[in-house]
Amino acid sequence: MIHLVTGGSGSGKSEYAENWLTGRNKKDGTYIYIATMQPYTEETMKKIERHHRLRAGKGFRTLEKYTDLSELEIPKNQGILLECISNLVANELYREDGTLNDLKETKEKVLAGVRRLSNSTTRLVIVTNEVNADVNGYSEETEKYRECIGMVNQSIAEFADIVTEVVYGIPVCIRKEQKKYEEYKKNME
Amino acid sequence: MIMIIGGAYQGKLAFAKKIYPDVTWADGAVCTEEELYSCEGIYHFHQYIERKIKEGEPIDDLAEELIRKNPELILITDEIGYGIVPVDRMEREYREQTGRVCTRLAAYSEKVYRVMCGIGQVIKEV
Repeated sequence: MIHLVTGGSGSGKSEYAENWLTGRNKKDGTYIYIATMQPYTEETMKKIERHHRLRAGKGFRTLEKYTDLSELEIPKNQGILLECISNLVANELYREDGTLNDLKETKEKVLAGVRRLSNSTTRLVIVTNEVNADVNGYSEETEKYRECIGMVNQSIAEFADIVTEVVYGIPVCIRKEQKKYEEYKKNME
Repeated sequence: MIMIIGGAYQGKLAFAKKIYPDVTWADGAVCTEEELYSCEGIYHFHQYIERKIKEGEPIDDLAEELIRKNPELILITDEIGYGIVPVDRMEREYREQTGRVCTRLAAYSEKVYRVMCGIGQVIKEV
């Protein structure tokens, strides 16, 4: 089962995704957490630390992988959490010299990684970000990024079983395949 | 506590005044701390957070204080985290902190409306 979790900044997407994956009473599982945020600055390091704290004790093993997810060796697991598409797209799109890779190639690369993950588990939850409900005179590079993440989100949503927007911690259902959703609810009990 | 959230210029306050006609409102853009903790309703709550961050005041306890001192509050706020992460550090913090504070308040609230095009949908009801 694939669950796409989206939402705005600081809205509790990660915590919701973690809890969805591990369930209420299953703290002893073997879950894989795929971290895509590169610890560039003090601020990103703080963010990473905060996420570590929130995940502690929930049975996650962290794999750091910033690009090329399709090359990842994935151990046996009960579920995977990928966090997050907005970082992954940025990592794949922007080259070190500041120029951009091709949008379609970037999208395919990200999707190949997602497919790899979904073939390595029975429960995959993917966190992404709503970055496109605002205008701000963005640069051409940022517009490309916005376009790319929009395409990737649409493609993942197409094959996801459940799509949820988290609004200030409240899950708002965007789409769910009824049968699989019932299965999921059973697992949560 | 009741929350009414949504994007800018969606008619949140008009919606709130329709369903809660007898409430007296404070404006988060200008109100004092005392007013925040004593008012019946507040709008522009995100601007209150923005002011505090710009003044360099810590807002780590804001949600808990509000729950403690004004638990029956009707709170209107913009949802502001739906764009590209800003380059400016303070704007980044304002955006993220507003999310964190409102997530905590939403967990406490008995009812949360989300207003779009003037139409309020209940996304949480206890």
